Amino acid sequence: MTGRSELALQLRAVTVRFGERTALHEVDLDIPRGQFLALAGPNGSGKTTLLRAVLGFLTPDAGSLELFGDDVRSLNVGERARRVAWVPQEESPRDNVPLLDYVLYGRYAHLGRLQGESARDREAAIVALRQVGLEERARDGILSVSGGERQRAILARALVQDAPMILLDEPTSHLDIAHQIDFLTRVRELSRERAVTVVAALHDLNLAARYADRIVVLSRGRRVADGPPTTVLSEELLARVWGVVADLRRDPRTGTPYLLPHHLVAPAAPVPGAFLGKGPVHVVGGGGSGEPYLRALSEAGYRVTAGALHLLDSDLEAAESLGAITAVEVPFAPIGEEVRSRLRTLLDSATAIVVAPFPVGPSNLPNLEEIRRMLGRVPVLLVRRAPGVEWDFTGGQARALEEELRRGGAREVSGVDGALAALAAPAAAPPAPLAQ
Amino acid sequence: MHLSTPTPAPDLPRGTVPLTWVVVGVIVAAGVLVVGAAVYFEGRTSCPSGSDTVTDDLGRQVCVPANPQRAVVLGPSIMDSMFRLGLRDRVVGVDCYAADLGGLSSDYSSDQVALWNLSSSMCVQTGPTFDVEQLLALSPQVVLAATIVSVAAVEEISQTYHIPVVMLQPATLEGIIADEELLGEVFDVPSAAAALVTTLEATFGRAAEFQSGLLANGTALPTVLITYSTDSNGYWTFGPGTFGNSLISLASGMSISANASTFYPELSGEQVLAANPEYLVYGTGFGLNESSYSGAPFWSQLSATQDGRAVGMDSNYFTEPDPTMVLIGLPQLTAILHPDSSV
Amino acid sequence: MRAPTDVPRRVAESAARHPWTLGLLLVILAVGVFFSPLLGTVSIAPATVLRILFHQVSGGALFADPCAGASVPASGCAGLIEIVWDARLSEIMLAVVVGAALGISGGTLQGVFRNPLADPFLLGISSGGTLGTAVVVVFRIGVGEQNLLLPLFAFVGAIGTGAVILVAARSRFGSVETLLLTGVALSSFLSAVLSLLLLYSPAGSLQVDFWLLGNLGALDWTQDGIAFGVVLVAGTLLATYGRELNLLQLGPDVAQSLGVDTRKVRVRLLLLASVATAAAVAFTGIIGFVGLVSPHVVRRIAGNDYRLVLPGAAVVGAGFLLAARDLSLAAFPGTLLPIGIFTSFAGAPFFAYLLFRRRGLSTMGTT
Repeated sequence: MTGRSELALQLRAVTVRFGERTALHEVDLDIPRGQFLALAGPNGSGKTTLLRAVLGFLTPDAGSLELFGDDVRSLNVGERARRVAWVPQEESPRDNVPLLDYVLYGRYAHLGRLQGESARDREAAIVALRQVGLEERARDGILSVSGGERQRAILARALVQDAPMILLDEPTSHLDIAHQIDFLTRVRELSRERAVTVVAALHDLNLAARYADRIVVLSRGRRVADGPPTTVLSEELLARVWGVVADLRRDPRTGTPYLLPHHLVAPAAPVPGAFLGKGPVHVVGGGGSGEPYLRALSEAGYRVTAGALHLLDSDLEAAESLGAITAVEVPFAPIGEEVRSRLRTLLDSATAIVVAPFPVGPSNLPNLEEIRRMLGRVPVLLVRRAPGVEWDFTGGQARALEEELRRGGAREVSGVDGALAALAAPAAAPPAPLAQ
Repeated sequence: MHLSTPTPAPDLPRGTVPLTWVVVGVIVAAGVLVVGAAVYFEGRTSCPSGSDTVTDDLGRQVCVPANPQRAVVLGPSIMDSMFRLGLRDRVVGVDCYAADLGGLSSDYSSDQVALWNLSSSMCVQTGPTFDVEQLLALSPQVVLAATIVSVAAVEEISQTYHIPVVMLQPATLEGIIADEELLGEVFDVPSAAAALVTTLEATFGRAAEFQSGLLANGTALPTVLITYSTDSNGYWTFGPGTFGNSLISLASGMSISANASTFYPELSGEQVLAANPEYLVYGTGFGLNESSYSGAPFWSQLSATQDGRAVGMDSNYFTEPDPTMVLIGLPQLTAILHPDSSV
Repeated sequence: MRAPTDVPRRVAESAARHPWTLGLLLVILAVGVFFSPLLGTVSIAPATVLRILFHQVSGGALFADPCAGASVPASGCAGLIEIVWDARLSEIMLAVVVGAALGISGGTLQGVFRNPLADPFLLGISSGGTLGTAVVVVFRIGVGEQNLLLPLFAFVGAIGTGAVILVAARSRFGSVETLLLTGVALSSFLSAVLSLLLLYSPAGSLQVDFWLLGNLGALDWTQDGIAFGVVLVAGTLLATYGRELNLLQLGPDVAQSLGVDTRKVRVRLLLLASVATAAAVAFTGIIGFVGLVSPHVVRRIAGNDYRLVLPGAAVVGAGFLLAARDLSLAAFPGTLLPIGIFTSFAGAPFFAYLLFRRRGLSTMGTT
């Protein structure tokens, strides 16, 4: 019997070290019963370590782990098997065991020392095979079925184990597209049917978004993001944690987000609470002027957005490496309507705007125009320009716009420190932003 | 379908000693008890009437029936004693190697077979493994065993089949005398035994006298190497504590391997060349002759070989601890080492 | 679509075939046991042998004079009875017990180490046992009681070696690789100690050779009984771990996730296998190939389910050893070859046959 607790799994400050390396660092996690949770993160982030700790394959160096209310350390192997079932990434059985027998292995934890399998056990195995669509193959050997079928058979075995929680470690890594969809669909259905808690480590964030109720992202042993897919998945997340620049879209059929990856950047060091904290602050810049502000703000714990920038602009590189969401225009073209509207969205979400001393030409003049629209709604910080440097290439329009900004309430700040100080000061706190 | 509440498997509560350990512990304890009891009680049985206790060379108390008529001899050295004591008729079985692998002729030379009138119908297989059936088929009343038989086989015969086994393993040449007396006791031939003992003692006496004479004269004892086998690495010989070594001493020789560290050392070619023994004695019989040994390193460079003092001697004379070793081997070796003596 | 109830019935049918196979093997073994006393180094007419057997089994009620018409030794019919009953039959019983012990042990170790080439002596038990007997002989311990002391010391030596391995198995370093390496290292060390001992006692060398070649004629019925008892208990306990062994084949992690306490089970299995092997070899010395080949024979017949492989290997092992004895006597009448030589002699080509039939032993699976 499982313990009396609302939570299927509770981790408190769980730390696991392998020699010098810390695989999990003070991880807290609460998983309510019946939830389908996807565990994501780059290689080496600690996903497998976490799963192995829950399964009892290793003992944490610190912290507590509770399975359905019972401390994992107090459970013996059999009790643990009746609480948690495991579908590993890959299994290489040596003998060509018939599928039915293979699935029946899952009943071990429920049978006595010398007790044989009853008709009921056998029936449960058949039903499990039916649920994974393998009933016809019950007599075939495990080595003679395809990889996808083998994974399903292992799932059937986990089902027959009749445990209220199932852990899956990259269960679809070796499956083709069709089998991936098939497998996860079945898992989700079965989880809902039987109210089974599912924790699946998944590499594919799009699959995770589609099937899981909740995504927890680990990076270098820490939990850096946690929530429903629509909230957790962002371009920023992908850039900061995985070092991949991507576009976030919305699946028109299901409404779930999906990511289109593009290229790699160096991922920034994870700042604790980076995705749970301050900002976003929008930095307007170009030609390298915005970079110091982007970096400083990011380090100070702010989420940053940037734009509108042109492709090939060095500020754009910096922004992307920080995972900043950006409005991007083709090189040398004037900022078009689409990009402008995107810029507006970014500005609307910002809690503050920093205007770096960027050279203004006709192609990026609209940046200033859009900022003017934001006056009075969020604090706008204008960085003082160095004297004697030519920056207005619009025949005076830029200068006029900046003057307008100053008169409209934009604060002048000097340099990066000035900007940070102004952001921190409560006097600069604006009325609540319109959109978040 | 959803199974109702699963019944938990009956796991052991923590801290209980696993059942297996307990069961195994009981078995081992029981076994030890049984063995202990058997050992204890075996030592206490006294001999049934009609038999006497003798003490053999290993200190075992053996109950031997009075005047046994059917004896099985396991070892040519014992056969030698039996023959000289006039007990050949009482011997119904002798040791042989496996019938298909040499049989009688593996243990007994053709001379011995002829002399002692042995036949393969008397065979009891003692090697490569001991055959109990053949022994039982001869219905022995007593078994006389030398070191060639494994101890396990001896104990099996004596304890499983209740056949008395007398172990004859003299530790020294002088121990052979004790063995003759023992045999006389077992087979009730005290006078034959006494006569043989007298002859043996006489031979020992003469050898000792001869030696003291040499020492009194200040004559140095000649150095000797006895080898029973050679190969490309060197010469196999006898170390301290062996009969071969004792024989050399009694024959008034100085063994060059008298200080070796093992019983049957192999001396390298260099060692033998350095020691350069005055006499080189190699074992013959069982098909061996000088050419079997001349492949040894430095064989032809040894002065003994060059001066014609490499002599062959029947290997039985220095490996089998029996009267023949004393009565024939000892004088022969003395004669080799001291051509002008008369022992 | 096939009706769901068809499937379980069909699967149940194939599983049910296998107990018949086991039964068949047992019958063959029984027949072998019955007819083996006809063979021996001393030729006795088969009719006489059978009469003696019935006479003894019925306590004298049947065939009051079993030796009628046969040539008897000097000690009369009693001598012939002693040969057939005390010597041959106890040897045959021992062959059955030791063969079964080696078979089931070999199967267990192949399962624990997931290695088709494992045999009962993998953990250095043989070296420990050999050293035990050598110690008794070299130091002349308890001369006169060595019939009991030799097996006892051999058993202690073998179990002692097994115990060292088991201590390693219980520790954190109890992975399968560590166990294997410990066994190999122990084996080498003990062999070295043995060689050293034998340098100083050539008589011991004879005893050790005797032991190493293996021999079946060693015991009185008491010792047979002890061996039988120990092997029966250890073997029965081993046979109950068939399911755990099946699960262990999936890998230690998967097995643990399914509820098998891998380390505990491994320790128990190795302990029981060591006890069974040690008890067997304590009385007979080292007999090779039986433990290696028997489980494979069962797998070819009945598949890889350890619930069948273990008891099957016991029966096949017993039969194999008995057959080796009988073949050796039939092929070389009048000569008794050490049984260890013969099992290797017959076992090696047989094993090669298994290898080539199966296209390699990379898995232990049947197709």
